[in-house]
Amino acid sequence: MNGASLLGSAFVVTWLTASLRLAGPVLLAALGETFAEQSGVLNVGIEGTMLLGALASFLVSLYTGMIWFSLFVAVIVGITASVFLAWMYVTVRASQVVAGLVFNVLALGIASTVYRRALGDSALPESIAMFQPVRIPVLGKLPLLGPILFGQSVLFYLTLLLAWIAYVVLFKTNFGLSLRASGENPAAAVSAGISVARMRYWGTLISGAGAGMAGGYLVLAQVGLFRESIVSGQGFIALGIVIFGRWNPLKAALAAIVFGACDALQLSLQLFGTHVPSQLLLALPYIVTILAISGLFGGKAVQPAALMVPYAKE
Amino acid sequence: MAKLFERRLTPADSPLAILGTTSAAFLAAMLVTAFLFLSYDASPFQAYIALFHEPFATLRGFGYSLVRASPLALIALGTIVSWRSGFSYLGFEGCFVIGATAAGWLALLSAPGSAIGPIPFFLFLPLAISVAFLAGGLWAGLVGLARAKLGGSEVLISLMSNYVAIFILQYLVSGPLRAPGSLPETRLFPRTSWLPFILPGTRAHAGILIAIAGAALVWLLLKKLPMGYELIVTGFSPSAAKYAGIDVGRRLVLAAFLAGGLGGVAGLSEVLGSQHRLMDGISGGVGFVGVVVALLARLNPVAVIPTALLYGGMSVGADAMQRRASIPSSITFILQSLAVLLVLAFDAFRYYRINWGVLRGAPPPVAGEVSK
Repeated sequence: MNGASLLGSAFVVTWLTASLRLAGPVLLAALGETFAEQSGVLNVGIEGTMLLGALASFLVSLYTGMIWFSLFVAVIVGITASVFLAWMYVTVRASQVVAGLVFNVLALGIASTVYRRALGDSALPESIAMFQPVRIPVLGKLPLLGPILFGQSVLFYLTLLLAWIAYVVLFKTNFGLSLRASGENPAAAVSAGISVARMRYWGTLISGAGAGMAGGYLVLAQVGLFRESIVSGQGFIALGIVIFGRWNPLKAALAAIVFGACDALQLSLQLFGTHVPSQLLLALPYIVTILAISGLFGGKAVQPAALMVPYAKE
Repeated sequence: MAKLFERRLTPADSPLAILGTTSAAFLAAMLVTAFLFLSYDASPFQAYIALFHEPFATLRGFGYSLVRASPLALIALGTIVSWRSGFSYLGFEGCFVIGATAAGWLALLSAPGSAIGPIPFFLFLPLAISVAFLAGGLWAGLVGLARAKLGGSEVLISLMSNYVAIFILQYLVSGPLRAPGSLPETRLFPRTSWLPFILPGTRAHAGILIAIAGAALVWLLLKKLPMGYELIVTGFSPSAAKYAGIDVGRRLVLAAFLAGGLGGVAGLSEVLGSQHRLMDGISGGVGFVGVVVALLARLNPVAVIPTALLYGGMSVGADAMQRRASIPSSITFILQSLAVLLVLAFDAFRYYRINWGVLRGAPPPVAGEVSK
C-alpha cells in the first residue's frame, strides 16, 4: 500500500468515526421531538431543554462522579422542563413557536446563572468523568469497519436501540396510533375516545426526555465540560432532522448520520490540513439542513396535519 | 350553580384588561426573580432599585439604554411586520449580522483613499441605510421565497440561516477584512461614517431616531396603507386573502423582505453607532430578545419603543448590578423571558369574568336562569 492511499484510508476512518460520534446527540433529540410532532406539538424548546440537560449532567458528574446517574438526572431535568412547556402548549394553548422560542431564552438565563452560582467566576473550566469508547473484542479488530462501527461510546449503541424502540412504539402500538391520531386529526381522535390533551402532554414529555438526555450525551461522551454555547443550534438541527427523516425514527437515524458526516468533514479536513476556509465547513451542516427542509425535496404531504395547531375541545 | 369565575366566549380585549393582565404577569415574573436575588443574600427591593436606577435615573446610564434599545426596537418592528403577515420569521440574528456587515463594509470603503471615500455624511447615511436594508431584506426574502414557492417551514429555515450569517461575518473579519493585529476584527471605521451622538456626555447615538422613524413607518404601513391591510389579511386568513384576490405568496415574500430589511438596519445602528468596527459575536442574542420585545409590545408598533427602552435599560442595569453586587447579569434574561411567558399564560385569564355577586351571596343576575 503506498503513502497516498494509506493517508486516504486514515482520513476516511477518522471522518466516518467522527460522523457517527457527532450524530448521536442530535439523533437522540430528534427521536424525542418525533413523538412531540407526531402528537401535533412543534417543540422548539428542545434547544433550551438540551442546554439544561447538559448543565445538570455536568454538575452531577462533577460532584458525584457517577456518569450513569448524571445521565439519569439530565433526563429528569428534561422531563421537568417540558412539563412547563407542555402546560404552555396544551393547556394555555399559547403559540407553540413563541412559547418554545422564549423558553430557550429562559433556559439560557437559568443555565448561565446556575453555572456561575455553582462554580463562581473561576476562569478554568472543570473537566469531568466521561463515557469512554467501548472496545468490542473481535469486531473492533476488523480493518476500516472496526474502529468506525465498533469503537463508539456505549451511548451511541443505546441511541440506536432507542431509535428502533421509538419506531416500534410509534408505528406498532396502540399508544403510537393514538399519538399520531392526535397530530393528524384531533377531532377524529376525540370521537374515537382519545384524549388529545393527554397524548400531546405525553409527546412533549417524551421530547423533553430525549432532549435532556441529548444534553447529557453532549457533556458526558463528547465535550467533558460545560459552556453556554455547548448546544449552539443542535436542538434546531434536530428539528430539521425530524423533517428530513419524514417523522420516522429509523429514517431520522439516517438523516442524523448524514448531518454528522457534514459536521465531521470540517474536523477531519482541518486535521489533515486544507486551505478551505474553516467557516465554510462549519456552516456546512446548517446549509445542508436548510436545503433538506427547504421543501426542494417535498415532504409537506407526510407532515402531521395538525402540527402547530392548538386544539380546543368544542 | 353560579361560579365565581365564569368562562367568556371571547377574551376581554379592552385596553384595561390587556394592561391589567400584562402588568400582573410582569409583577409575577418580578416576584419569582426576587427569590433569585434572595439566594444571593441581596434584598430584592434594593436589587430592583439598582436594576432600574442606573438606566433611568442617571444620564450616562440612560444614554446606554438608548444605545441598547435602538437595535432591539428595529428588530421588534421587523418581527411585527412579518408575524402579523403570518410569516413566523426567527432569523433576525442573521439579518442583524448581514446588515451590520453590509453597513460596515460600506463604512470601510468610505475611508479617505478607499473606493468611494471621502463621502459627506448626508450622502453616506441614506446610502448605508439602503444597503443594509437591502442586504437584510434579501437575506430574509430568500426564506420568504422558500416558504411561498416550495412550502418549506420558515421557522426552521430562518433559525438555521442565523448560523450561516454568523459564519459569513466570522470569515470576513478573520480573512479579507481583517485589520493587522491580534484580534479578528476590521479596522476602526472613519469618523465621517459614525452615527452622530445626540445627548452630550453620553454614548446615545442617532440610531434611536432611526428606530423611532421606523416605528412611525411601520405604524403607517399597517394602519393606513392598503398594502399593510393586505399583509394583515394574509396573516389572519390566507384563504380569505386568496379569495379577495390577494397574491398570498407575493405578500409573504414582501413581508419577509421588509422584516429582514428592518433587521439589517438594526445591525447598521449597532456598528455605525456603537461598535464602530466589525467583529465576531456582535449579535449576541439581540435577534431573539428583539422578538421577545415585539411580543411584550403585543405586536403594536407604537408600544415597541417604550418596551425596547425598558428591556434595553434592564440589560444596562443588570451590567451595573453585576459590577457592584456581583449578581450575574444573566438573571435579567430570566426576568425578561419569564415576563413574556407569563404574559402568554395570563392571557388565559381574559377568557374569564369574575362574578362578584357570588362573593356577596346575592343571587347571580342572569346566570342562575341559564345554568341548570
